[in-house]
Parts: sequence; structure tokens; C-alpha cells
Amino acid sequence: MKHLLMWNPVAQPRETVLYSVEYQGEYESLYMSHIWIPSSQCSPTNGLECDVTDDVTATVPYNFRVRAMLGSQTSAWSTLEHPFNRNSTVLVAPRMEVTEHGLHLVVKLEDLGPQFEFLVVYWRKEPGATEHVKVVKSGNTPVHLETMEPGAMYCVKAQAWVKAIGRHSTFSQIQCVDMQGESLPL
Amino acid sequence: MKNVLHWNPPEGLRGVEVTYTVQYFIYGQKQWLGASECRSISRTYCDLSAETSDYEHQYYAKVKAMQETKCSEWAETRRFYPFLETQVGPPEVALTPGEKSISIDLTAPKKWQRNPKDDTVSMQQIYSNLKYNVFVYNTKSRRMWSKCITNSTLELRWLEPSTLYCVHVESFVPGLPRLTLPSQKQCISTLEDEMSALK
Amino acid sequence: EFRFGPCRVEGVVLPELWEAFWAVKNTVQAQDDITSVRLLKAQVLQNVSDAESCYLVHSLLKFYLNTVFKNYHSKIAKVKILKSFSSLANNFIDIVSKLQPSKDKDMLSISESAHRRFMLFRRAFKQMDTEVALVKAFGEVDILLTWMQKFYQL
Repeated sequence: MKHLLMWNPVAQPRETVLYSVEYQGEYESLYMSHIWIPSSQCSPTNGLECDVTDDVTATVPYNFRVRAMLGSQTSAWSTLEHPFNRNSTVLVAPRMEVTEHGLHLVVKLEDLGPQFEFLVVYWRKEPGATEHVKVVKSGNTPVHLETMEPGAMYCVKAQAWVKAIGRHSTFSQIQCVDMQGESLPL
Repeated sequence: MKNVLHWNPPEGLRGVEVTYTVQYFIYGQKQWLGASECRSISRTYCDLSAETSDYEHQYYAKVKAMQETKCSEWAETRRFYPFLETQVGPPEVALTPGEKSISIDLTAPKKWQRNPKDDTVSMQQIYSNLKYNVFVYNTKSRRMWSKCITNSTLELRWLEPSTLYCVHVESFVPGLPRLTLPSQKQCISTLEDEMSALK
Repeated sequence: EFRFGPCRVEGVVLPELWEAFWAVKNTVQAQDDITSVRLLKAQVLQNVSDAESCYLVHSLLKFYLNTVFKNYHSKIAKVKILKSFSSLANNFIDIVSKLQPSKDKDMLSISESAHRRFMLFRRAFKQMDTEVALVKAFGEVDILLTWMQKFYQL
């Protein structure tokens, strides 16, 4: 998951304006609303966006605020209109590569980080085929799905899944693989 | 759970005979206890596995140096939590080849035994959710894939005959912040295909 | 997800909690000089039945939110500790908000048993100087997470 906070620039020709980002989670806003925590990545930054993924480490509402700094001058804080909760994240379908090792159906999925799991659905391409589902814990190593019948075609699709926010992506494109391999001895 | 305390000798005393004494403390209890086998020793380590075998406790250890009549301050460790900080070793891996298959049998790593006569304790008993990542590498196609399993056997079927496969396995405890230790890579060849054998 | 007996809590990533505490464990525990006292003793957390676990974790986490974290906060000097503290506190709020301990009468004896365990912890906390107790309780989050880990399913 990646969460970016963005803002509009402060017009100050021929000057380098810096920005500082701070956040507070639900705990801070409930128990100590005066406390704001400097963002890991952008305190300060000269960009117009801030990656706050490492700051949002719980599935609760977070407030964010940013201010501009020019030399010794600082602007007022500009606070996000609505608190952000990571359970509103939109996940995109994962990239997937399906290969056939001998008679083994193997899938390699995009490594999207430790929070991601993948729901992989595969089936033999024939009328009335049964869909099989496998949960793949991480994307960095090819995973063995099934040992296949020679001469058949098998299809696979996958969706990304983040338990922490209880959300999953749409399914990827379907990929099908033709199982070569010699016919079995009678 | 082999817990060994290590320390550096005091500076500036090279060549001088220095001995050390170690004590340990169970967090939440009342007093420091002497490590029976580490009293006035000259080595710079002390095996505290027996003293720290109750892995649900947390411990401190301290050591002081003595030289003739003089002795140093105690040097103390931070709080040590065996249940969290022990490194779970790899399982024992046994491979049995078939014509187009390999059977993988895993034996969970064991809790370190100081005395071979002690009862064997499997790490599975300590970490009930212990799992294994099995990595399989086909040396002919140079492709690797993995499988995450909980039980201790895995049958790889429909492999290519007369092909060398290499396997290594990691044990891990989901959720705990710990590095994994992979097993030694083991390679084995599937048997010759019966059909080609008859030709 | 966590399964504390009948109570289920989804959407909390235990490794995230560990990562947060691990970053400050040595710093926080080094501040605790009273090593002869352990608040989360064996009698509080050992042999807790599934049925009791929901009541006990609810009481413990609420105490950490309303007492430990709330008062420990002012002692935090370093931003690194502030971030870990925030991550733990916000995840504890998420867990507590999802825990629904049953109020059925037939669960009374179980909830009372859990309450007795919690009171052991709370009494030990109250018997200490508040500042010292706050540091000790925050330093024992690894004991709490290790116990919670037993109810965590991947």
C-alpha cells in the first residue's frame, strides 16, 4: 500500500519554500489532541507531496496537516478536511506471470510488500471446470499451484488482498497455459 | 534456546591474569543468582542455557572482572527474552526420490540440549504455529518455486525423471520479528523413467 | 486476525505492533530500574482460557490506553519513541473498538475470573510510584504481545 499526501504550492517566485508535514492518529486526537507527530519522510521537504505510508500504521482515522516555511517565516497549518483511514485504500490488480515447469503450474506475483497476500484462482479449461483457490503469502518467489494433467490447458487469475484493511483488488487478467508433456504410460 | 553470555576483556590488562564471575537475574524476582559454572573463570563467555531455560521468563546477566585483590564494577546486560529472541533453526530434511517424485520429510528443530541425556523438546511444542517455507530448484530448467506448509511432509509429484532437484527449507514463526535460518541445500536426482529404462 | 475466544478482531497486523515496540524496547526497558517487580506476572497471563481471554485483553488494553499511554506520553523525548508509541496506541484503540466481550449472565463467573487476573496486574501497578509504574508497564508490552500472539491466526 502507498499513501501520498498532496498539497498546492505557496506562490513565492525565485524562493525555495519548504513544507513540513505532521500527523495524529485517533489515539492522539482523542486523548491528547494538542500532540502532532512529525512525518517520517517530510519534515521538511521541498516537494508537494509526502509518502505517509510508514506513518499510517493502524487502521484508524488519521489527521494530517502541512505548513510552508521560508527562512524564518512559517505559514499557518493547513489541515486535511477529513481524517484519512487506510481502509479506504483502493487496491489495483496485481501483475502476474504464469509458467509451466514440466507438469507444474507455477505463478509468480508482483512483490507489493509484507502487507499483501494474494488470492490465486486456477482451473482446468473445460466445461464445468472446478475453480481452485490458493492464498499466496508473498510475491517475491514463484509458487507451485498444482501438478497438472498433460495435454490440458489451465487458467489462472489473481487478486491482491490486504488483511490489515480488509480490502482486495479486482482480479488480474486471466492467463492460460497449455500443459505439454508426454502422455502417461498405460 | 542456547543462551551464551559473551563479553570483552577489560582494556589495558593484556597479558595480565584476569578472572570473571557471572550472575543472572530473573525479571520480577528478588535477587541475583550465581552462575555455578562461571565463578572465577578466565574465559570470556558463559553458557547460561540451563539458568535461562524457562523461556517465558525474562532475564538479566552481569559479569565482573577480578585481578588479584582488585575487582571491577558489574557490567550488566539489557533485558533478555528467550521466547522472543531465540533464533529458530532449520528443520531436519530427508529427501526420498521416486521416478517422477520426491518425498520431503521434515523434523522440527529441537530445543538446544546442554546434556544429551536431557529430554528432547521440539520447537513445535514451544511455537505451536511453527511453519516451513520449502524452496525447490530444478537444476535443469534453473527454475525455483516455493511452498509454505505447516505439516512435516510434502510430496512433489510429476517431476521430470533423471533430473537433479535442490531443496532447502526455512522454519519461521508467523508474527514474530525474527530472522530465519535456512537449512543446508540438499540435492537429489529423480529416478530414471521406467519407459526409457526398458528401451 | 485475533481470536480471543468468541471475540474476533480483524485488520490488525501483529508484526506491525512488534515492529513498533522492537524499535524502542531496549530504550524503554533500560529506564526501568525496579527489576524485582513484574506487573504482568505469570498468574495474570498463564493458563487463560479462551473464554476468559476476551475479557482480560479488553481490560488490559483499556488500562494501557486510559492510564499507561495517556500518562506515559509526557515522558517521551525522542520522536522515534513517539512514533512507536503512536503506532501501538492507535492499534490498541482499533483492537478495543472491535472487541465485544459478552455480557450474558452465564458468562459471569468467567468474566469475574478474568477480572481477578486483571486486578492482580492493576494492584501491582498501583502499589508502585506512578512514574515508575508507567515506565515498567510500557516496558512490558513485549510480555503482553507475546501472550496476545497465542490468539493470533495468520
